[in-house]
Amino acid sequence: MTEAWGTLKSFAGKTFETLDPEFTDRVSQLIGGQDLTACFQCAKCSAGCPVSDKVNVQIHEVMRMLVLGLPEVLDTDMIWLCTTCYTCQERCPQGIDITDILFGLKNMAFQRNKAPQGYVSSRQQLYDTGKLYQPTDWEREDLGLEEVPHLELDETKKMFEKTGLLKLEEDD
Amino acid sequence: MKPRRCLRRPACSNWRRMTRMAQEYEVFLGCAIPSRFNNYEASMRVIADELDIELLDFDGASCCGTVVLKSIDELSWLSMSGRNIALAEKRGHDIVTPCNGCFGSLKDCDHVLHDNESERKKVNKILSEVGLEYEGEARIRHFVEVLYDLKDEIADRIVNPLDGLKIAFHPGCHLIRPSTVAGFDDPELPRKVDELLELTGARSIPWNLKLRCCGSPLLISSEEVATEILKEKMSNAIESGANCIVTNCPACHTQFDVQVLGLEDEDGNSLELPALFVTQVLGVAMGIDSSKLGFELNRVQLDPIADILGL
Repeated sequence: MTEAWGTLKSFAGKTFETLDPEFTDRVSQLIGGQDLTACFQCAKCSAGCPVSDKVNVQIHEVMRMLVLGLPEVLDTDMIWLCTTCYTCQERCPQGIDITDILFGLKNMAFQRNKAPQGYVSSRQQLYDTGKLYQPTDWEREDLGLEEVPHLELDETKKMFEKTGLLKLEEDD
Repeated sequence: MKPRRCLRRPACSNWRRMTRMAQEYEVFLGCAIPSRFNNYEASMRVIADELDIELLDFDGASCCGTVVLKSIDELSWLSMSGRNIALAEKRGHDIVTPCNGCFGSLKDCDHVLHDNESERKKVNKILSEVGLEYEGEARIRHFVEVLYDLKDEIADRIVNPLDGLKIAFHPGCHLIRPSTVAGFDDPELPRKVDELLELTGARSIPWNLKLRCCGSPLLISSEEVATEILKEKMSNAIESGANCIVTNCPACHTQFDVQVLGLEDEDGNSLELPALFVTQVLGVAMGIDSSKLGFELNRVQLDPIADILGL
């Protein structure tokens, strides 16, 4: 069990104060969202999940928390320890786009300052350079590879100004 | 061949013409390959050359955004991936990429923008700021998809059989899942790239954790969990009798050829296994000069299979 992410470590002894139907509704509206009551808790998603044995809260439990309208789901480690392998989504007998919903939850968690530092620095890197990593030129020269085609950074920066990439946090 | 999805189809006059011109693509390299795995690009290019696949420069390419930006902000991700697609589309070209991450990201973006009118409107408003528009006419393919189309030609060119090579092939997640987006191979029992590899006389061995994620996307949030997953994968590949692991993705390869270095199981046994790209295996079997395939940049020692590869 990892201690890496999330403040919600266990359901044991946990009381949830509010069941927020608006939260369920917001999640239903995400890309990949749908009527979440379609989930009947077969747990096939968790059975195929590569981190089921490494998280405190498993993916089928996340799906139930969504139906119950518990924003505390954003505090679970499953949100950021999902590998995005899409096995759950591929296998869901109800055709729920589970992985895609989880991406939307990550967006929500990011807006609430609940994201690993690596994502925060990657955002800056993508804004500043338009890339996640820079070419290793000496290797390319050794192998006779041409320079990587030029990227006009003004273009990507202009787009990110429009999407508000650097101002996603709700407090800003 | 599945017909490409085109918003204008069947009125689109380009559609028929472009399916005939299937062997010319703008090549989307992404960030990880030019940074860490120039041997993958080199071996891809030399094979493309042999098979008359023309790889055009992708001018103005940015990062695809990948699952990293999709996790942060979906509108920014759709705009970033959408811009890349729109650039190729504007120039009348299809896209090929050797990276599962780029393939998944571009295909997924294409899928959303095609099916979801409200997202498409939002993204096109942003793209109009940089003089672009997404219409959904550029087809997006993985390099191994293109190779699979040419498997008969590849079979004819095998001159250096790789008997004795026992490959643990790792297809990687985003090449096959979600199948509604990837549309390439069976998501639970993929076989196409295995078929390509076995053309060389090598054997693609069965292993239980073949379809299990490599853990690489977690390097950004928890290297500890990423490494646990890697250990499980490597132990299983070794137990299953593989003498190498083969991938078609730079993100997965980061796990198998970089993160694995020095990794041991509980009993102190090394978990390293020679890690090759699909294009290196095919290239050596096609008799291409090994110096052009970039083997000197493979980090895990290739000694155990050097004789088979003729290195």
